[in-house]
Amino acid sequence: MTAKKATVLQTENLQAFYVLEMQGTQKVVKAVNDVNLQIYENEIYGIAGESGCGKTTLLKTLFNDIVPPLRLMHGKIRYCIDSAEVDVTSLSAEEKRKLRMEFISYIPQGSMSVFNPVQRIRGTFRDFIGSHVSGKNRAEIIESTYQRVVELGLPQNVLDMYPHQLSGGMRQRVTIALASSLNPRIMIGDEPTTALDVVVQRGVIQMLTEIQKSLKNTIILVTHDMGVHANVSDRIGIMYAGKIVEEGTTEQIFAEPAHPYTRFLINSLPKFGDKSMRESVPGSPPSLSNLPQGCPFHPRCPHVKDICRQQMPDFTQLDHDHKVACWLVGEQQHG
Amino acid sequence: MNFLKRYLLPRMISYFLVIWLGITVVFFIPRLTPNDPVIRMIDQMRARGSTLEPGAMDDIMADLTRMYGLEGSWIEQYGDMWGRLIRGDFGVSFFQFPTPVSQLIGNALPWTLGLLLSTTAITWIFGNILGGIAGYYTRKRWSRVLDTVAMVIRPLPYYIFAFTLLLLFAYLVRWFPITGGASLGALPSFTWEYIMDVLWHSFLPALSLIVLGGVVVFQTMKLLVQNVNAESFVQYAKLGGVTEDRIVGKYIIRNAMLPQITGLALSFGQIFSGALITEIVFGYPGLGMLLYRAILNGDYNLIMGITILSIVGITTAILVVDLTYPLLDPRIRYV
Repeated sequence: MTAKKATVLQTENLQAFYVLEMQGTQKVVKAVNDVNLQIYENEIYGIAGESGCGKTTLLKTLFNDIVPPLRLMHGKIRYCIDSAEVDVTSLSAEEKRKLRMEFISYIPQGSMSVFNPVQRIRGTFRDFIGSHVSGKNRAEIIESTYQRVVELGLPQNVLDMYPHQLSGGMRQRVTIALASSLNPRIMIGDEPTTALDVVVQRGVIQMLTEIQKSLKNTIILVTHDMGVHANVSDRIGIMYAGKIVEEGTTEQIFAEPAHPYTRFLINSLPKFGDKSMRESVPGSPPSLSNLPQGCPFHPRCPHVKDICRQQMPDFTQLDHDHKVACWLVGEQQHG
Repeated sequence: MNFLKRYLLPRMISYFLVIWLGITVVFFIPRLTPNDPVIRMIDQMRARGSTLEPGAMDDIMADLTRMYGLEGSWIEQYGDMWGRLIRGDFGVSFFQFPTPVSQLIGNALPWTLGLLLSTTAITWIFGNILGGIAGYYTRKRWSRVLDTVAMVIRPLPYYIFAFTLLLLFAYLVRWFPITGGASLGALPSFTWEYIMDVLWHSFLPALSLIVLGGVVVFQTMKLLVQNVNAESFVQYAKLGGVTEDRIVGKYIIRNAMLPQITGLALSFGQIFSGALITEIVFGYPGLGMLLYRAILNGDYNLIMGITILSIVGITTAILVVDLTYPLLDPRIRYV
């Protein structure tokens, strides 16, 4: 691949668990378990996986929104802000607040009622942006974001509407416009296309990629829709039971999936001309509060071996940028 | 125009229909009770020791029936009643004959208005402020203490609470008077002494109303704030780094207040029926006391007068809420 890219976000052995106390017994949900991520500037990093595998929790921790019952058990999250590395978990609440929107912004799932129902969209923009800029040019900045909304192809009058007057797709595009308004270096999208029909999905995806191209920033995109990943992501991390089990460029993941779970995900996609039944992953994902020993995928894996039941494999570097955690791959390297 | 035809006109028709129906019911119900005001009056005369000849008795009964307007069938009386009502004449009281009902109500109304307007406003303001704070800081210790106190007070029957106050602060420790709205013989005037006298007399009834009403407002508001705080638009604003004062003021309070405003308008509407138990327990000379006596004596005209006031008060309050609600909540539209 090309020259080494600058890292914008990095995690080190990140562990974030939900710790729930119920009638004296403690329940630990291992939602993010030993995740090492290195996300570069100017790329779209996709995270894929089934429901309940910890994707949203991973996003929350990456977004540095760790509030009880979620607890950071271990590891570090570093943002690279103006080419200085900052360990963000140790920041004060006010410093964390400042980073949001300005450095890292969040795009929620479209179906949620994310706007204040008694306020026009313009008011929401004013609240969000006004919380981050102050001084003389505040009015100018707010005014320029209104311009931006129109440039992004939204109708002018959308700002004067109430949230309930917008369609789902329109609402989602407004959240993207809002998330990009302060030119953040990272934008995090939590299933931004879910709950929209495919035509609207396309518009939303186009808008996201256009913004990324013009801002040259990073988008971390979580969706279980492999089709979306194939179209927009530069690199993909496959997540299973709170762990990243395979990571590679989109071409590598789709052309040579190495982990059996990744293969299942990709094989479930429909193909032109192929009329055979699509196969789904057998079984269902394990409970994050009661993980099986060894590789968490072994109860569902068709190629399970003895060692899979005992030990979690390390990553094997298959190629530049492509690594996988599976005992089936490169047995020699595991020793 | 559309609004007038499609919403306001039907709404006004239903407004007058409710008032008509209410008045009609109030006309017939006292006539169905075994309380005959004429017999009652004769009983009172006898109780005072006057002996009457049988012929004179019949004459008096006939005279009373004529003076009270109870001649003829119910239908004729009903017609007469509307004839008088349209001219704004509520008739005369049977038992304080010939004092007009409007004068009796006029004497009692200032007491009730003074007591209930102030306690309703104080209850609402303090209940909402405390409930709002306790709902926002729901994990704090003092919030739980407040909640427990409210939970203990709320199920207390009003009359027991009121009697306890009376027993403690008017009988055992004689800080407050045991009955009445002002000291005997005090002439109503805008002097410092008279105003202090009225406030001193109204302290215990006001306290009982504020405490028992306040805990209800407190609990409702606390729950509302907790619910709104968990709404996705509040969560999204937090993820967008919106400042806390904006989130609390424009997002949480603004949305939680909506049902509370309806509640306030309705309690203002209910003022005109007086606070029956309060006024009886504390011997307070308001509308509730007047209504209680009127029912005991079968004073049809007085019952009608007070009830009509209350019907008009409540239906008007509901009408005002309906008409102003679209200004507060943009999701409500009538056309």
